This record gives sequence, structure tokens and C-alpha cells, in this order.
Amino acid sequence: MHIIIILIEILALFALVMLHVAYATYFERKIIGHMQVRLGPMRVGWHGLLQPIADGIKSFFKEDIIPAGADRPTFVAAPIICLVAMLTSLAVLPFAKGWVLADIDIGLLFIFAMSSLASYGVVLAGWASNSKFSFLGGLRSMAQVISYEIAMGLSLVGVMLLSGSLNLSRIVEAQGDSILGMYLLPQCLGFFVFFISMLAETNRVPFDLPEAETELVSGYCTEYSGMRYAIFFMAEYIGMMVMASIGTICFLGGWNGPFAVPFFPPLWFVLKVYLFLFLFIWIRATLPRYRYDQLMDLGWKLLIPLALVNLVLTACLKAMIG
Amino acid sequence: MQIQYKPKRTWLATIFQVEILRGMALTLKRLFSRPITRQYPEEKPQIKIGFRGQHALVRDPATGLTKCVGCMRCAMVCPSRCIRIRSHKEKEQWNRRLIDDYRIEALRCVYCGYCVEVCPVNAIVLTEVFEYGAYDRQSIFFNMEQLLTNWDRFAAQMDRPVADYVNPFWRPRGLAEHTLPVGKRLAVAPEWSGEQQVVGRNWRQHHQPEPSCKEDVDV
Repeated sequence: MHIIIILIEILALFALVMLHVAYATYFERKIIGHMQVRLGPMRVGWHGLLQPIADGIKSFFKEDIIPAGADRPTFVAAPIICLVAMLTSLAVLPFAKGWVLADIDIGLLFIFAMSSLASYGVVLAGWASNSKFSFLGGLRSMAQVISYEIAMGLSLVGVMLLSGSLNLSRIVEAQGDSILGMYLLPQCLGFFVFFISMLAETNRVPFDLPEAETELVSGYCTEYSGMRYAIFFMAEYIGMMVMASIGTICFLGGWNGPFAVPFFPPLWFVLKVYLFLFLFIWIRATLPRYRYDQLMDLGWKLLIPLALVNLVLTACLKAMIG
Repeated sequence: MQIQYKPKRTWLATIFQVEILRGMALTLKRLFSRPITRQYPEEKPQIKIGFRGQHALVRDPATGLTKCVGCMRCAMVCPSRCIRIRSHKEKEQWNRRLIDDYRIEALRCVYCGYCVEVCPVNAIVLTEVFEYGAYDRQSIFFNMEQLLTNWDRFAAQMDRPVADYVNPFWRPRGLAEHTLPVGKRLAVAPEWSGEQQVVGRNWRQHHQPEPSCKEDVDV
């Protein structure tokens, strides 16, 4: 019985997240369109509202092409690795008090593990496609994820120190429900580092070097088409949402808001995640791509030292006060 | 000379990355401005005078045939070489040229309008029709019959007098009035004649932008 309930919860979460992924693409196209004084999708449905559904149907029925020289099993497995890793990390996110599929004590570590695993999908895709562009994209992704994973982990260690826990629900509870309790204020340095490495982790502009379409065609997913490409796309958007949720949980006080909402407790959480998604899109509409060496410079010479400084400061503060 | 590529910043500006913030503010401002997209099939563009659309051969009301005299200037001046004219001399009476066929490959045409400028008798015009896509090439490779029908169709739906459209304002640039062929000396508004002719960049100074793009675009 218990298993059935969990299965239903998983299905509901999956469906909701997929719907969000579909409409995140719509949201992104609309917002970027309006920021560029265009309209964005307008044709399918009222103001293009059915566009993501049409896109979904289209990519589902498209021909599935696997290049002749590709390493077939790896080629097929790569997008699935990406998607599964991203979907798995959804399990530990607390959407509201008690609204979590797996309330495990190492939630934050689990998310790190899964987001690193997802980059295996990208690297394998680059390698299995047997194409220069894909390979370069995969290599870049590897280098990028390694350098930014460290900065990101270090920036969240401050949060772990303050809350004294790796359990995501407990991190939110430790922040209390007032604005001053949010870790955004004491951890502003950590948030800065986290935010930049979050952009790099999810391969978004200005750090979208793995799929830099101006130089690498489409990077690691050059050889992918139809549904397999769509799976990479979904993985990217779920990755964005997971990172936005981590940012919300660790720095913006999770589901706590100015007042409690009676029927839909995750409301504040969802709004904060939307705010993060808007930021992602806003940055994409504004900034050009970093050069590869600038990316590495920023990661190793600025973010990691900053995160270390933040860590030492937080530890000293914690030792003096607590 | 020393070229300074990057303006100097204060340390405060470096920390807060003011350039990025300024760029973000600009995109946010644009988010709330009115888009300039024209929803094409529902919302047609406003066609200006001198628009260069579908080709047509003006039908001479006197003879019911084309006005073309077969001087071949249009075929010579055409940069994409898409005009083919076949003509023969009428030996008996006037010793004039009669046009057998006049072909324009509209798919090769670049719509420069040189043929219209150079035509001494205003025989060829570019109409304001721009929606004439087709599923086969034959119907876009215009022959003389099709070109004359294009003109009939365009003249029928035009609300201005037909004589005005037979473009007196498209004339070879930089020539004095008296050196032009007679057909090109028709009276036109001053802005279209001689030195005052508004072409290229000056266009913006003389014409207000269309009402649909006027708001909010303060670039």
C-alpha cells in the first residue's frame, strides 16, 4: 500500500515537472522574444500557448537518426543517463513541509552526486557521436563541470555549517520563517559563488560552452535528433529547476514566505523557483558567451578562492557566536 | 597614440559588475516595451510610394498591346540578366520593332528597379503586388502575356489614376531634365525629381516611420 502511494506521488511529480519543462521553454521563448522587442511564439493556440505541446508531439514523431560511425549502445544510453540523473535529484527536494519523496539525511550530497552523474551523460554523448563538434562539446562540459563543481560545493559548505545539516528540509527549517533568517544575508558571498556556478553547472548562457552553437554547431548534441535530442533538452531544463530549487532551499528560505498559504503550502517555494528561472532567462537574453580561458580563470582564480574565504569567515563566525 | 579598449573602472564598479547590471536593466526595460513584430498575414505592411513588387508590362490603352519598343536597355542594364526580349522589325509600314516575347525570370530578379528607371517609354513597371508565390516555377517565369495580365490585374485594383503609377519618378539618377527621354519628363513631386530625389539614407529624414513601429522604438 505504502509503495503504491509513493508510486502515485512519483508519477504526479514526474507529470508536473514535465509540464513545467514544456512550459519553461514557452516562457523562455516568450520572455527572450519580448526582451528583443519581438513577440515570440504566437501561432499555436492563443498567444502560442499550445506551442510546447506541438513541439513535444513533433519531436516524438521525428525520425530517430543514429550516425553510422556512432558507438550505438553508448549513444542510446547517454541522454537517458542525463535525464535519469536529473529526475532522481528531484526526489530529495522538499517542496513544502513534509512534501518530499525521500527525506534523506544527505540530500545535498545526493544532489551533487546526481548533477555530476548527469555530466557523464554529456561526456558520453560527445564521445559516442563520433563527431568533432560533439567531442569538443563533451570535453568542454567535463572541464567546466569539474572546475565549477568544486566552487559550488564549497559555497554550499557555508550553508551546511550554519544549519548543521545536510538534510534539505532541516536546512530550510534552520532558516526560520523571517526574511532575516534567510541564508542570503549571512552567506551573500556564498550565494554569489553559488549563483555563478549554478549557471555553469546547468550549461546556460553565459557559460554554455558545451553547446556553443556559434562555434560547435550544437556541441555534444550535434548528432542527436528527434526524441533523443528532446531528452537532452528536458534534462537541461530539469537541471535548471533542480539548481533553482537548491538555491531556493539553501539561500532563500525554501517554502517559508511572508504568510502561510492554506491550501497550497509549496506556493512560496514555487514562486522563488520561478524567480530563479526568470533570472536564468533574463541572463540568457542579455549576456554574451564567455571565452573558454575566461571561464576557467573565473572558476579557478576567483570563485574557488572566494568560496574558501567565505568558508573560513563562516566557520570563524560560527565558532565565535555559537 | 594609445588606444584604450577598456574604460577604467573603480573597484566598486568591478565588484558589482556595473556593465552587466546596466545590460540587464536594458533588457528588462525592453521586456515591457511594445514589440514591433508585424503579424504578417493578418496585418499587411503599409506600402510606400516607389515600392518594387511584381513585374508588369503596361498595356497601352491605344493599341491594347505593350508599350515596349524593343530598345533592349532594360535587358542590358539588368544586373541579374533575367530579362529576355525577342522582337522583329515591321518592314512594311513604320520600320518599327514589334515585340514577339518579353520574358522575366522573376526568381532571378533582384528587384533593383534599374529596368524601370532606364525604360524610355515607361513600358515596364514594378507593381505594388508582393504576394505572388506559386507552387510551380512556370507561373513565376513571366512571359509577355503574363506580364500584361499582371498589369491588368494591378490596374483593376488600384484606387489612384493609372497614369500616375507609370512611374515618372523612377528615372536614371544624376541626369538633367532635358537629357531624359520624353516619357521620363512627366511632372512629379519635387522630392522625387533630380537632386532632391530622396534615396537611401536620406529617406529616414524625409519620412515619418510607420505608425505601427513609431511607439517605444527610441533607438
